[in-house]
Amino acid sequence: MSDTFILDRNHLPYWLRQLRKERKLIGPMRKKSGDIVYEEVSNIHEIELNCPAILPPVKEFFFPATEAMLRFKKGNVNDNIMGTPAVIFGLRSCDVSALNLVDRFFGGDIKDRYYTKKRENTLLVSVGCNMPDPTCFCMSMGTGPFLHKGYDIQLTDLGDRYFVEARSGRAKNIMNKFRHLFGKPSKADYEDQYEAVHLSQTYFEKRINLEGARNAIVSGAVHDDFWRSVTARCFECGGCVYECPLCTCFNVIDRKYDGTVERARVWDTCMFKGFTRMTGGVLPNRDRIRRTKRWYYHKIVYGPEQIGTFGCVGCGRCTITCPGVIDMATVGMKLSKGVDNS
Amino acid sequence: MKRVNIYTPFRAEIKEIEKKTADVNLYRIALPKRIKYSPGQFFMVSVWGAGEVPISITSHSAFSDGLELCVRKAGFVTSLIYNAEEGTDIWLRGPYGNGFPLDIAGNSDIVLIAGGIGMAPLRPLIYEFTNRNKKYGNVKLVYGSKYPDDVIFRDEIEVYKQMGAKVIVSVDRKNGEWDGNVGFVTDFLGSIKADMVSAVAYVCGPEIMIKNVTRDLSLMGMPHEKIITTLEAHMKCGVGKCGHCYAGCKYICTDGPVFSYKEIREYQLMQAWEDNK
Repeated sequence: MSDTFILDRNHLPYWLRQLRKERKLIGPMRKKSGDIVYEEVSNIHEIELNCPAILPPVKEFFFPATEAMLRFKKGNVNDNIMGTPAVIFGLRSCDVSALNLVDRFFGGDIKDRYYTKKRENTLLVSVGCNMPDPTCFCMSMGTGPFLHKGYDIQLTDLGDRYFVEARSGRAKNIMNKFRHLFGKPSKADYEDQYEAVHLSQTYFEKRINLEGARNAIVSGAVHDDFWRSVTARCFECGGCVYECPLCTCFNVIDRKYDGTVERARVWDTCMFKGFTRMTGGVLPNRDRIRRTKRWYYHKIVYGPEQIGTFGCVGCGRCTITCPGVIDMATVGMKLSKGVDNS
Repeated sequence: MKRVNIYTPFRAEIKEIEKKTADVNLYRIALPKRIKYSPGQFFMVSVWGAGEVPISITSHSAFSDGLELCVRKAGFVTSLIYNAEEGTDIWLRGPYGNGFPLDIAGNSDIVLIAGGIGMAPLRPLIYEFTNRNKKYGNVKLVYGSKYPDDVIFRDEIEVYKQMGAKVIVSVDRKNGEWDGNVGFVTDFLGSIKADMVSAVAYVCGPEIMIKNVTRDLSLMGMPHEKIITTLEAHMKCGVGKCGHCYAGCKYICTDGPVFSYKEIREYQLMQAWEDNK
């Protein structure tokens, strides 16, 4: 069960300032260019909470676009596992849901310590979405707009105050330290929160039935002609993969400087032709259609088989990014409505 | 709990390099500690400054002190390994992969079919199956190469015969001195004197060869779950994280690299095979 509190809006900056004393504070900040990105917060009052799904997703703090893994110097190997204590404020329910899935991938039997160490040391303070974007479909995926489980601390904006839920053990410990800031929710607070959650659900413009899409594929109703038409619109920019909070493919490169060899990993994309290239030029996914299919199959078909859930949290980032309009929402909708193979 | 970084390789030493053919070397490697590995598994071999490559194990841990790897000079990293000298360090991670299933062999006939460097991962199986302490069936080996000069384990064929294996060696094209068989491995599948319906086959070689051999074995009446093969894929991590080897809901590195023909068909692991249908 979650512990519930009420936080006055005016107390939020003070609370964040206290949190920042012990941890690096990361939040959505507006750049000079106008873009809003997650970065270390300099001025707490400049945090932007009314913003669409932020690109790139919050995965970059746990799985950076470029990450030095090993350093080799004079016959010795040092691993560069970092885990500075941090708190990420202002991320959304879809981000938290995505991180929970990635935890299962990088955790599990074979642990990726680069990811898990950062994850263990990071507290997530998510804010539920009162006003989802037109691109969002987390409600269809069961990953938002508000979470029932799997979060650390979740805030619900009630106008002049926040309804605060602390779920995980570490979140409850932290809340105990700042009990003086938080009040006990009254009956009206619960009612307002209930209303906010339900009002938010009425704003969704997209309802995507990925289960229907999966059934269409599994039943064999979708022929290659459909995928050919999807592929024809693909620019192979890799944007869908880079911006997907669940995509974690990486390439490993060795770099040399000052007598040190640094082995780093960088994000990679299965949409690229050379992704599967083997020595001697063997290229299993030479065919573009196969590459496009691979991404959708991984998320729609193999996800449920392997981990019991779709490889999509409905954040709509691929919808924002894809220049060819073949994002998960569009393709999923087409698939679920029945594909015309003629 | 001991926290281990799965990406950190350990140091080993190249004890001996044996030149096998113009572009293939056999490396005998001394491991820092005893590591148990089984046939069909692979190691990630690191060259600092160049990268890592998955190399399948050529030795059998019960018959060899250290580790033997057979490396063909093919790409950037393998060329550097090829130029390495005896006594130098080599960095390894592993062993990874599931390895060949041995218990399904029972006491039925065992058919090993190798093409080119595909002989390397099958070599420990010959040692395993001809070991008289374990009651395995008869071992038949069909070993095809491109040219007579490319027969990597040419010097060991007599040894295999002495150990009790029936060996058919062939080359695709003959040049120079060669009085043996000429033809693709598929041409000699009919010459294997084995009860194909009950036998178990282990196949390794280039993709096109695996495709044709598995098809022919299937047509000869072999059940699909008893046709075992090992796939290759571009790999960066070897532990199921980097995503490069992902094919049809399986990671070749952790779920494989050894799969049965049944699994390959069921999960569509070799989508390229579907094209010619």
